[in-house]
Amino acid sequence: MLWFLRGIRRGVVTSRYPARPDPSAAQLPTPPAFHADRLTVELAERLAAACPARSLRRDGRDLVLDLGGCTCCGRCSVVGGEAVAASGEFELATRDRGALVKRIPIGGGW
Amino acid sequence: MSEEQRLAAQLQDRAFGLFGRSLHIRTFDSGSCAVCESEIRLLSSPYYDLHRLGFFFTPAPRHADLLLVSGPAVRAAEPALRKTLEALPEPRIVVAVGACALGAVFTEDELVHGRVDAVIPVDVYVPGCPPSPLALLYGLLVAVGRLEEKVQALRFDLGEELTA
Repeated sequence: MLWFLRGIRRGVVTSRYPARPDPSAAQLPTPPAFHADRLTVELAERLAAACPARSLRRDGRDLVLDLGGCTCCGRCSVVGGEAVAASGEFELATRDRGALVKRIPIGGGW
Repeated sequence: MSEEQRLAAQLQDRAFGLFGRSLHIRTFDSGSCAVCESEIRLLSSPYYDLHRLGFFFTPAPRHADLLLVSGPAVRAAEPALRKTLEALPEPRIVVAVGACALGAVFTEDELVHGRVDAVIPVDVYVPGCPPSPLALLYGLLVAVGRLEEKVQALRFDLGEELTA
């Protein structure tokens, strides 16, 4: 009987999300996050040029990221090197479309 | 926030609260590449099992509480999209799913509106290309007010904390 119950218990595959974090979440491709102090204007331009979804653009001394368009392809990570890393955030749903547009200050020089 | 806006927000929260226990979802593909639909379909799998949260898919818009729209709202689908929305009884929720639906992939032209909220009002936006089933679950739970939004607090600046 105990073996039966153990089998039932071990057979549960259903995610506990949202009551508990889902282990598969760590494997998800997620939008980039930036080290603002390592961003330069030149790098921001290169990041914008590399983004196939046109979700990155430079606006003055800010790098603008539109999470609504990001496909999490990772090309910005390749171009940006240590200035860019995956954010790990997938809980991005919102009632305000504008909240998906993030401005990251360019902390480095030109 | 003005008094009217505060009252409107309270009313909206109350309306969303009505859906708290059980919710029927009608999906609508307004011209997507079908990858969003693939992820939506995964919600019914044993792993994600959205039924445990009180969500159910229904083929009939008249039985639905929530319209889950993917795709960039091609103009050919506009009449069907409007009719589907009108068939949903009030109160209803519209959730736009994926980068196309959020207006970040296609620009407006003679073939496509480029974003769902150019055709019908959208209550919740779920980004991603495609959004993962977990992101979709989160979006549905935000839509019914069972989870709080967190994207406003995220800064995506690793130099400081990720959250404000």
